[in-house]
Amino acid sequence: MSLFRKVLVANRGEIAVRVMRTLRAMEIASVAICHRVEREAVHARFADEAYEIKGETPVAAHLDAEAIIAVARDCGADAIHPGYGFLSENAAFARKVAAAGLTFIGPDADTIALMGDKISARDFAGKHEVPVAPSVQAEGDIAAFVKSASAIGFPLLIKAAAGGGGKGMSIVREPSELAERARIAASEAQRYFGDGRIYAETYVERPRHIEVQVLGDGQGKAIHLFERECSIQRRFQKIIEEAPAAPLPEATRAAICDAAVRLAASARYKNAGTVEFILGADGRFFFLEMNTRLQVEHPVTEMICGIDLVRAQVEIAAGRGLPLAQSEARVRGHAIECRICAEDPDAGFLPATGPIRLLRAPEAEHVRFESALEQGQRVTADFDPMLAKLVAWGKDRAEATDRMIVALKQLTILGLRTNIDYLTRVLETAAFRDGALHTGFIAEHADILAPAAVDERLRDRILIAAALGQRAFRDAITGVSEPHASMGGWRN
Amino acid sequence: MSLHLTLDGEKHSIEIIRRKPHLVLKVDGRIHEIPEWSAEPVDEMAIRGDAVTIARAMVDDGGRETCFVRLDGRTHEVVLIDPREESAGHDSLRNEIHAPMPGAIVSVHKQPGEQVVRGETVITIESMKLQTALAAPRDGRLLDVLKQAGESFDKDELLARLEPADEA
Repeated sequence: MSLFRKVLVANRGEIAVRVMRTLRAMEIASVAICHRVEREAVHARFADEAYEIKGETPVAAHLDAEAIIAVARDCGADAIHPGYGFLSENAAFARKVAAAGLTFIGPDADTIALMGDKISARDFAGKHEVPVAPSVQAEGDIAAFVKSASAIGFPLLIKAAAGGGGKGMSIVREPSELAERARIAASEAQRYFGDGRIYAETYVERPRHIEVQVLGDGQGKAIHLFERECSIQRRFQKIIEEAPAAPLPEATRAAICDAAVRLAASARYKNAGTVEFILGADGRFFFLEMNTRLQVEHPVTEMICGIDLVRAQVEIAAGRGLPLAQSEARVRGHAIECRICAEDPDAGFLPATGPIRLLRAPEAEHVRFESALEQGQRVTADFDPMLAKLVAWGKDRAEATDRMIVALKQLTILGLRTNIDYLTRVLETAAFRDGALHTGFIAEHADILAPAAVDERLRDRILIAAALGQRAFRDAITGVSEPHASMGGWRN
Repeated sequence: MSLHLTLDGEKHSIEIIRRKPHLVLKVDGRIHEIPEWSAEPVDEMAIRGDAVTIARAMVDDGGRETCFVRLDGRTHEVVLIDPREESAGHDSLRNEIHAPMPGAIVSVHKQPGEQVVRGETVITIESMKLQTALAAPRDGRLLDVLKQAGESFDKDELLARLEPADEA
């Protein structure tokens, strides 16, 4: 079976550009879709062809399955790569793509549906001897749920059945809070996912987030490309990921990777997927969910395995089978990824908007900067606050960390608030160096993660640099007159 | 007259002392000789004999200029104060709830006339798919809420006001 001639990438931003880069290397033409407001966006210009999708909002355009499939057919694409987010885990979309005679670069619609519902996914995992945490599903009224959930014991974690990304999620430590928190979670779940079903499960204290990259051929054969650790999170969302995991006993690592392969093989999983686990301090691990798509953090796996995961996805979708055998998969060194977000870490990680007035990406060996940013663009509330990803590889974890710190310090994005300096501070902590990671890391180390005070010498330099950045002040120095010197008074 | 700036909430001032043969500035009373500088966004300045590489970008947000300065791998925000703004009071902030970011109202928890205590949630907003509770800035009675559930707003837009506090 031959590879595709033309592939539509149903996404935007850094991931669309990243997928197209591989398509180009494979000599496959790429097609971008964009909303009216992003006609000039990097992904639209990077593609060989770009088509506009109408939509009330930009997000609505990227979720318009029918319109996207129509573009793919009209332009003669053979396949659609969904990236992550948007329609990537939408079973109905995958089904429609197939019905239109196109190839969906991802798993079958039925697999997406199975894994997309957290409850059916848990049941499936449990049936195939993948450990799942004790849990209770809300059926009917809240009072009955409170009673059965309390029986599991506190603390509890409440989640949305159709959820993801921390929406509708809540840790409950006090029995008295359960009813109210369940009600809020159900309402959030209804709002975000159109499905108000929730469930409660044992909350693991000081949990680590460990996930396994898998590839399946759709015939029951599956391999893993080792694990990633994504324990550094804020608002239940990952900000720093690495591969392999920070220190992990070899037996635990093997057990987790085996469980992931068992799940993928049992599901006759096709294409790339990620099986997520929560690992307790006691070494027990539980299945969290399976993401039936390429992950944001896939580059760390690529760097330690020397594999292009998008290429693997395309080849599997084209029927060429798995690109390597389990025995051929090897780990080389260590890789770390930081998610660069438009947000204010010193004010509860609230999303920030604003212009990108100055952009300087680090350029160094073993450093990847994945973005679709341009100097001069404006970051709006239209899309996700993730601006870019910075990935660094080293021969071991310490070298990868050092290299990442240097790269973060070189990375310059000015004009709006970002988490760049915050990420640097996280990497500079002794706890991160030691690999003492857990998903509460950010809260636990909040004190030392606050920015250091600015001393007098540094302060004067900053103030001088700022003053000389102002036109009126410079004009007062160089003696240029009206209109810019109208604020006058500088020439004593 | 000197240029007033704020950094991390503290006010500072810069004065031009000499322009020739090289620039001399007074920062909060301290004299700095600056033989080399430029207007470039990435600039290598010489301050008191030290070479200092900075990157900077100026953002004009509705008349309020903020300079983002990156130095030694760390970004700082400096607000350059317009003398006109300086004379205006900021007391209003204690009576008002403004949008911290653009978004939409999810729900309004308190109605005009209701008593609220400091920290109590008045409005829940949603921005970039994240819900955020906006709390009363102080104890008092709610004067009005200017937006209803479902309505959207821009950053810094006034969303609710408290009745002016009694002068005690």
